[in-house]
Amino acid sequence: MPVSSVSCILGERVRSSGRLARMSVRAATKEKTETKAKPKTSLAPPWNVIVHDDPVTLMTYVTKVFRTVFGYTEDKAHRLMMEVHQSGRSVVWTGAREQAEMYAQKLQAHHLLTTLEAVDA
Amino acid sequence: MWVARVAEGYVFGGLLPQAVETLKGVPMLLESSDGRVRARLLPETFEEAEAQETWQRHAVPELERLFLSRAQLVRRDLATMRKMPSTDQQVLLIPDGHVSAWLAALNAARLALFEMNDLEARHMEAEGFGGATKKQQEALLRIHLLAEIQSVLLGDFEIDEAGSLDDLGID
Repeated sequence: MPVSSVSCILGERVRSSGRLARMSVRAATKEKTETKAKPKTSLAPPWNVIVHDDPVTLMTYVTKVFRTVFGYTEDKAHRLMMEVHQSGRSVVWTGAREQAEMYAQKLQAHHLLTTLEAVDA
Repeated sequence: MWVARVAEGYVFGGLLPQAVETLKGVPMLLESSDGRVRARLLPETFEEAEAQETWQRHAVPELERLFLSRAQLVRRDLATMRKMPSTDQQVLLIPDGHVSAWLAALNAARLALFEMNDLEARHMEAEGFGGATKKQQEALLRIHLLAEIQSVLLGDFEIDEAGSLDDLGID
């Protein structure tokens, strides 16, 4: 087998520092005196799925996991992997909390160091 | 160690006793109850305690079940390892349908070895090897061996096509 140097994601782990905002969906309708008020909706904040650098996981493996979990193109997956490698972390997906949790679980199933944080309003 | 591509999957041959021992350790590492390993394989996902507690209650057990089932699959493949004629070397077939599970299991094993041996990022560099203790160096060799196998499964190397297991002269 040809031998090549093992490329690893290098660097320190960076814990997420985002403040956690509570999701609150308020779709209450209030009646003011005799007139009907419009329903008020306070949208839940989106959540970031963050992958952190680790010194062990192979770069090509990280790219493959991004492609598998999110269906990203090779280019996008590679770009995100490089961001993890160079910046210590990368926001790999942003959206609704439930889906963010599903993605985080899938990434952790492949052993990528993954955290979730709410996007500050 | 040599590698060949056959119709059934990937064949890793010429596996010396230490490589065999390292591979047999993969499922055990995946099932490890070592606190450092568990903290890495099942990391804190939320900063907020309540959200983390909920995660711990719902997501973590599912992940644990997945890791266990992967460990069982890897263990079954390892049980089919065969001795090569007139050598102390062995040969392992990783079927195509098991590649994804193997990739994740190998990654988990490498992370576990890293954590259990108190290794640091600098040790993963060629220059860092000399600064590691003997026990750490042994762990590093295992980590790199498993990385080579991972790289093959990721398609990082061009592998010779051998047709079938029979073409390799392996029963």
